[in-house]
Amino acid sequence: MTALSLEDISKSYGPTRAVSKINLQIAEGSRTAIVGPSGSGKTTLLRLVAGFEAPDAGKIHIDGLRIADASVGVPAHRRNVGIVMQEGALFPHLSLIDNIRFGIRKSKDSKAHALALMDLVELDRSMADRQPHQLSGGQQQRVALARALARQPRLMLLDEPFSALDAGLREQLRSATMRILAKAGVATLLVTHDQEEAISFADQLVVLRDGRLVQAGPPQELYRAPADPVTAAFLGQAIVLDAEIRGGRARCILGEVAVDGQQTSSSAAKILLRPEQLRVVPAAEGGTWRILTIEQLGPQAHVKVALENGGAETCLTFRAPNVDLPPAGSLVGLEISGRAYQFP
Amino acid sequence: MIRLRLATLALLSTMTSWAPAAAQDLGITVYSAQHAGLTQKWADAFLEDSGIPVTIRKGSDILMANQILQEGEHSPADVFLTENSPAMTMVDRAGLFAPVNPETLAAVPQEFRPASGNWTGIAARTTIFVYNTDMVGEKDLPKSMLDLAAPEWKGRWGAAPAGADFQAIVSALLQLRGSDETATWLAGLKQNAIAYRGNFEAMRGANVGEVAGSLIYNYYYFGDQAGTGESSDKLKVHYFRNGDPGAFVSISGGGVLKSSHNPEAAQAFLAFITGPEGQAILRDGKTFEYAIGSGIKPNAALPPLDTLGYPKVDPSLLNAQDVVRLMTEAGVM
Amino acid sequence: MNRPLPPLPTAIALPGVKRHRRRGSSPALVAAALVVAGLALIPVGFVLWVLSQSSWETAASLVFRPRVGELVVATLLLQALAVPACIVLSLAFAWLTERTDLPLRWLWRALGVAPLAVPAFVQAYAWDGTFPLLRGLWPAVLVSVLAYFPLVYLPIVTQLRRLDPALEDVAATLGERPAQVFFTVVLPQLRLAICGGGLLIALHLLSEYGLYVLVRYDTLTVAIVNQFQAVYDGPAANLMGVVLFALTLLLLLLDKWSRGNRRYARVGAGVARPAPRFRLGRTWPFWLLVPLVTTALAVGLPLVTVVRWFWIGGSEAWHGAALTSATLQTAFYALLGAASVTLAALPIAWMSARAPGRLQSFIESIHYYTGALPGSIVALALVAITVRFALPLYQTVAAVIAAYALLFLPRAIIAIRSRLGQVPVELQQAAIALGKPPLTAAFIITLRLAAPGIAAGAALVAMGITTELTATLMLSPIGTDTLATEFWARTAEFDHVGAAPFALAMIILSVPLCVILHRQAMGVSGQ
Repeated sequence: MTALSLEDISKSYGPTRAVSKINLQIAEGSRTAIVGPSGSGKTTLLRLVAGFEAPDAGKIHIDGLRIADASVGVPAHRRNVGIVMQEGALFPHLSLIDNIRFGIRKSKDSKAHALALMDLVELDRSMADRQPHQLSGGQQQRVALARALARQPRLMLLDEPFSALDAGLREQLRSATMRILAKAGVATLLVTHDQEEAISFADQLVVLRDGRLVQAGPPQELYRAPADPVTAAFLGQAIVLDAEIRGGRARCILGEVAVDGQQTSSSAAKILLRPEQLRVVPAAEGGTWRILTIEQLGPQAHVKVALENGGAETCLTFRAPNVDLPPAGSLVGLEISGRAYQFP
Repeated sequence: MIRLRLATLALLSTMTSWAPAAAQDLGITVYSAQHAGLTQKWADAFLEDSGIPVTIRKGSDILMANQILQEGEHSPADVFLTENSPAMTMVDRAGLFAPVNPETLAAVPQEFRPASGNWTGIAARTTIFVYNTDMVGEKDLPKSMLDLAAPEWKGRWGAAPAGADFQAIVSALLQLRGSDETATWLAGLKQNAIAYRGNFEAMRGANVGEVAGSLIYNYYYFGDQAGTGESSDKLKVHYFRNGDPGAFVSISGGGVLKSSHNPEAAQAFLAFITGPEGQAILRDGKTFEYAIGSGIKPNAALPPLDTLGYPKVDPSLLNAQDVVRLMTEAGVM
Repeated sequence: MNRPLPPLPTAIALPGVKRHRRRGSSPALVAAALVVAGLALIPVGFVLWVLSQSSWETAASLVFRPRVGELVVATLLLQALAVPACIVLSLAFAWLTERTDLPLRWLWRALGVAPLAVPAFVQAYAWDGTFPLLRGLWPAVLVSVLAYFPLVYLPIVTQLRRLDPALEDVAATLGERPAQVFFTVVLPQLRLAICGGGLLIALHLLSEYGLYVLVRYDTLTVAIVNQFQAVYDGPAANLMGVVLFALTLLLLLLDKWSRGNRRYARVGAGVARPAPRFRLGRTWPFWLLVPLVTTALAVGLPLVTVVRWFWIGGSEAWHGAALTSATLQTAFYALLGAASVTLAALPIAWMSARAPGRLQSFIESIHYYTGALPGSIVALALVAITVRFALPLYQTVAAVIAAYALLFLPRAIIAIRSRLGQVPVELQQAAIALGKPPLTAAFIITLRLAAPGIAAGAALVAMGITTELTATLMLSPIGTDTLATEFWARTAEFDHVGAAPFALAMIILSVPLCVILHRQAMGVSGQ
């Protein structure tokens, strides 16, 4: 059964189309991440599911029950959808435990339930009576997660919950959240503008742009076979080259390489290579590429190369492992591993 | 939520439980612009005398008359008391007064009540000019109130032109000398006079030397003298006499509303305050107004009215509307 | 760690669907705001009705005459001098108490609010009694500033305490001297607080009467009240009321313009690190003069005057029964009025903070127009309407509370909307997502967190009611005697000695209200 399904959802604010004809399914217990640049409509989509906005067209189902269409909808407070917002949105006048109990105050064992939830989100029980302003950012988000889980929601919505945290903490909390959600077994929709976060978090990745759904699928598949060069670049560093395709092989400035994807013969196709597919090899003799600059990144380096007798348009920049890189100015060769991907 | 709804309910029931008092009980309601202390003493004595309770709404002359006019036939008031007659005239012209009982009228000399007999005088106050003896010699005093419009008084005298008291004086001037002369005098007033909030402040202005003298009603001076005297210790009183508009005696009025729920009790109250007992209370009180009814002599501190040479004016002819129009045109208001 | 979760504590009911509401505030909220605005339209309508009864020639001759010109100039001049003076004094006062090492800061902070406890006309009586020759514009400005500056001092202090000192640190590293930092970084962030407080003061000054008659400075309101005390149905008074509307419009436009469209950095909910204090060094005695002189004049002088009257009167001046009864009645009206007016202000304050738009700004402006009218116009209009259409309500508690609402709604709206605006909308959405119906979520989260602002609004209203005179005289149930009406009746009989206990009782009743305002400004209560 699908935990959430969106059918042809559209929503405008005045003349601005926020989202347009979105179709999406989320399987029970799965994790979906919506990525897109700011203004792409991802937050609107989340608010539509939560019930803070109503769609202009289309239908929303949760657990097979229709909860909203163009004319009617279940009010937000009856949807039983959990939500964790950007900075936690903890109630500043309530203690940690009272924040968690907020949605279940009326049940008599809400305290025990809340303490169990503290265990689940890995918060020490001794912190129960702390006030929100006494907690670190990461702790606040754990409380927000516990608070949202308390009512055993049918769906969990995460609205950029890690963006206010610093890098190390962000990864730590992300994996903790994945662990906790898996334990709770609740289907989750994460909204983020951080593609790395989305890829590592989700079973299903959804890319939005200008209010439209560009592509949805398993993260690895989208990474390898994106719908267009812009999506490709959004999901990670992309080397997009003009190529001539013939018989399943592409001819480009890097030479010949096997292609996936369309594999249609064409004289003016575009192909995608990921930087990890390129390897810089020292050229004993007759290297065709010259290293222009090397920018150190620690374990990796940004390498800028160009064809020795080509112009500026042959310039390529990519990330390469920082092992045995020849110094800038050297002549090198470039080796390709794996297959290139031909854009449709 | 429930608590909130209960609170709202309680609030609503509290509000509606205060029904207008006058309609229910046997007593009377008096709208009084007279001194609060005096009115209260009258009410207390009347209750003792007749057993009829009196509730008082306090206010000021014209604002209260405005209110009665707005209320019309629904007015909760049974009796209206003022400090000056123009407010009475306003209500009378709207036809809201019932005729006063003849016996009550008989107790008040004819000159202190209107010809219509729809209301009666209950007290009187005289116009005086108090002057600071350090600033003005006896021989330099104005002979007439009209002299105050002359250039030598520029910036040297004070009054409270916004008050009903002063407007009563102007209405007497209008009645005695006509609108042209009144307009000219008001233009002089605008030029010369310092405008105070009230008579008391005008008097004090003279006492502290801000102005040399002030045109006020008598009881402010005598009241302060009887009290601490700190606002009048440098002042002397000048009476204009000779039938001058500045010697005007203003009548405080009392009347019974046509719409009264209890007209008999209302008439009885009016009869009481103009009767010997009510006038004695006035005489002995601290307000220093003149008792005028039932042959009661005024307070001993006050010079007798018949020595003051005041002009004879029918109080019902004093017209507030025209006075305010003239004052507005002169830019005083 | 792997302990299973206890079973779901409450069964979640199957959803029931409702028709979508397309954007904007809830219809119930808008309806409530419209009902209150309808009430506020009564005096405006009354004024316009009287206007329509007089011919154009009469109207023109009454409006376009030199006297009205004089009054408009006098009113504007007073505003133009007093409001900036209040702002400058408040800034200096607030900077000294919040950002320097001035001795006894806690005391000055408390005393900075204290002038509000002294009713403006008591203030004026004290000045008039002590310096009887203070007359005209400058004394009017001086007394206005002393009586009303706390209305802008309070929001400035609140905002100063919420500012992130990091911004100032950054500015310092960019080479700005401390004084420059105050002007380039701190002051711009105080803009909204200054605008709100300034508007509140301007509206107060526009409708103030008692203060200016005593220092003999004629403003439009003074002239209107005088007209009303002089003649019935005066078209002149009502026409000057129309001029007052025009001045209010001017103030609102000025306020809108000075707020500007620029957005200011969001301020944090609380700042862990206190802002650095500027060392005054050996100049501190000089700086001490600012709060010392201000409070000596604004609080000391009226207190000394009242106590002196009290002293002269001795035990005889104690009208014990009357005093007790008037105090209780005043407290009753102040509490009931503050509660009702605050409740009435909530819908429009909510719209103003959460869903601003044309309808909201129209409704809100009606309240400012009405609030700028003097009490006598508002009260007479209510007399006219209730007698004709709601006679059972005439001269009941309900009628007088309605008058208070019309007079004092603006101050409640301004106090509440600013605090409401500071409560993140996400908190209420979080509560809704956790199963609370929207109205419940609004009450237990947003209103709960805005409680200090609501309390401050209620306190400002209660202060206004404590000293209100005209509407109380005309509309209260018969037999009502409040401290203000007793004080007025006695001073009208030049019984200052007898009036003193009532003035003192008004001051004492206002002290807890000042404490509420002080706590809200210092951020003690609430979160």
